[in-house]
Amino acid sequence: MRYAKAVLTALILLAAITSLCVQGGQKTEREKVVIGVIGPMSLPEGMAEEKAVKLAAEEINAQGGILGHPVEVVVGDTKLDSNTASTEFRRLATIENADVIIGGFSSGVMLTMMETMAETKTLFLADASSPAHAKKVAENYERYKYWFRVTQNNGSTFALDLADMVRFLRDSGYDVKKVYIIRDEHVWTDPVVEALTPLLEEQGVEIVKDVRVPRGYSEYEQLIHEAESLDADLIMPILAIAGTGDILTKQWATLKPNILLAGHDLAAIDAEFYNKTNGMANYEIFLADGGALITAPPTEKCKEFVDAYKKKYGHYPESHQAYGAYDAVYLYKTVVEMAAKAGEKDPFDPDVLVKYLEKFDASNPIELTRPIAFYKNHDLMWGDNYVRNWISQWQDGKQYIIYPESVANGELKLPPWIE
Amino acid sequence: MIDVLLKIIVFGTVVGGIWGLVASGFSLIFGVSRILNFAHGAAFVCAAYVAFLLSGSGFNVYLSILAGLAVSGLLGLLVYLLTRPVRKNEVMVIIITLALALLIQQILLVNFGDKGISMLPLVQGVVELNNVKVTNMRIASFVLAVTSLVSLDLMVSKTSIGKKIIATSQDSEAAMLIGIDVEKVFILVMVLSSILAGFAGILYAQIFAISPETSLKALIYAFAIVILGGLGSLRGSIVSSFIVGYILVLTITFLGARWSEFVMLLAIVTILVVRPTGLFGVEE
Repeated sequence: MRYAKAVLTALILLAAITSLCVQGGQKTEREKVVIGVIGPMSLPEGMAEEKAVKLAAEEINAQGGILGHPVEVVVGDTKLDSNTASTEFRRLATIENADVIIGGFSSGVMLTMMETMAETKTLFLADASSPAHAKKVAENYERYKYWFRVTQNNGSTFALDLADMVRFLRDSGYDVKKVYIIRDEHVWTDPVVEALTPLLEEQGVEIVKDVRVPRGYSEYEQLIHEAESLDADLIMPILAIAGTGDILTKQWATLKPNILLAGHDLAAIDAEFYNKTNGMANYEIFLADGGALITAPPTEKCKEFVDAYKKKYGHYPESHQAYGAYDAVYLYKTVVEMAAKAGEKDPFDPDVLVKYLEKFDASNPIELTRPIAFYKNHDLMWGDNYVRNWISQWQDGKQYIIYPESVANGELKLPPWIE
Repeated sequence: MIDVLLKIIVFGTVVGGIWGLVASGFSLIFGVSRILNFAHGAAFVCAAYVAFLLSGSGFNVYLSILAGLAVSGLLGLLVYLLTRPVRKNEVMVIIITLALALLIQQILLVNFGDKGISMLPLVQGVVELNNVKVTNMRIASFVLAVTSLVSLDLMVSKTSIGKKIIATSQDSEAAMLIGIDVEKVFILVMVLSSILAGFAGILYAQIFAISPETSLKALIYAFAIVILGGLGSLRGSIVSSFIVGYILVLTITFLGARWSEFVMLLAIVTILVVRPTGLFGVEE
């Protein structure tokens, strides 16, 4: 009897294992589309990415999903740490079975995640701005082809935008001959200033001083005094990591030097910046990183997105990463549908989708919240007709794009204390 | 040259004065209760956030500042209550106060994000001193900070409460034996020190801006200044806060902004190598 029980148990186990093997051998039917969103979820950049992806997924599900499959969003938190980011990316790709991963703020963290992306062959519609990412795609296409930069331009394009900013100011009657640069003590600003220097020289503009400030730096008044003593016409911040652009703005507005404040101050993009500086941001000229502004949406879809975001979450996007993350979901939907329409055997296959994403090139941008096209190295295309860091200005509590004319919704206004 | 000297004096004194308010409280707490209060920076930022939020909601700005100071005082009381059962265990005290500081920083981050808040200066305008533009708020901060520090020094050295504080700091058990309620002294010192830090935070937010991360900066500055002045020496902290202020400004003027904090910390380390007890410390 004892033997009979043992044999029976063994048979049941064998049957169960066999059944599992048979199931494993069969091709499972797709039940849903899984979209992973990854970023530093306690920072505005990550929060905005998660909210934007969830909003897009909700909209798409309300319209029947992607090829009839409902969209599910899974979230990974990088905590802005490379190891955590890599582990989280792998979890999303292999445990959660994400079909595509979106986001990934910060260049250093991105480099690590790109390795996990290559190992797991996961489509990655990414954030971060270092030229090093696209260089990897160019140098080892087969390994890194799944990576596309969607959120913002390659960081080196800031030099083009800043040179255009100086040209625009000069064309508008504000004569710029000497520029005083205040920039992050960080590697990201080196290629920007390196590229900017000859561009300014071409215009006959001299950089009278190039000051690097550490994270958390606050004594800008002394630097403003120095800029005055060096007869600078322009104080040009190139600040993101310092995290104290608001202090520079405040001290500039308090001292009221006869110098314009115009450059790339990441803090100024925040829609709440004007209130946070008690209105002292008035007249500051900045770059709208990511190619969109709440008060000057470049496309109809951008306007709809901003309104929908406000309606759903009660406030505007916390950071410009929201536009890229939202676009990435619709971009993914579009290429999957294109692949299906073209009769691809598996329209969700990342290798297949890379080909369709590459179709959005200079001659064929896709208009989402911004017009999106890619270079051959999968970098986001820069230009007036694509995405660029629009030259913008705070005027009486509102952000206006003031250059280029094709998208401008406002005109340059000089502070009343400028002679 | 006079311009440069004037700039160094004005900017160095204001920065030194603000950090002096933070460091003197930190030093007082350590001197009296032997507590290294790692939540001291939290009082610095909390007072500014409360004052900013209330004044932004339409409340009278002076009442908002008072509310900010009250919150920082309550935070001091909270530190006293949390550390009381473990006061003899220095490691536990550090862990508890550090945990409280991180908790407060996270609460601020979650609710307000990592972007800074900045208060509209109470005193607007700029004066020109020998071709150097100085904001009126800097001058007001200088006056307020120096007045507070002098008052604190007078209170500790001249009043009966001050004598109780000194007695407790020298030997709390002996102080207890002669009838001093040392627990009351601890509470007074903790609350007063936190209010001083809160006041510094409010002044700082008027000239600069404050973010949750500033609490760590305030703590590091306070710690460095107190060690430089000599642990537990109130006057040492006050003097060394001005030394730090001048080093910072001198470095920015002659070497560049990127070196400011590096040179300041290097100078402190160098002084401590030469004089391990700090400028005004005594060997125990």
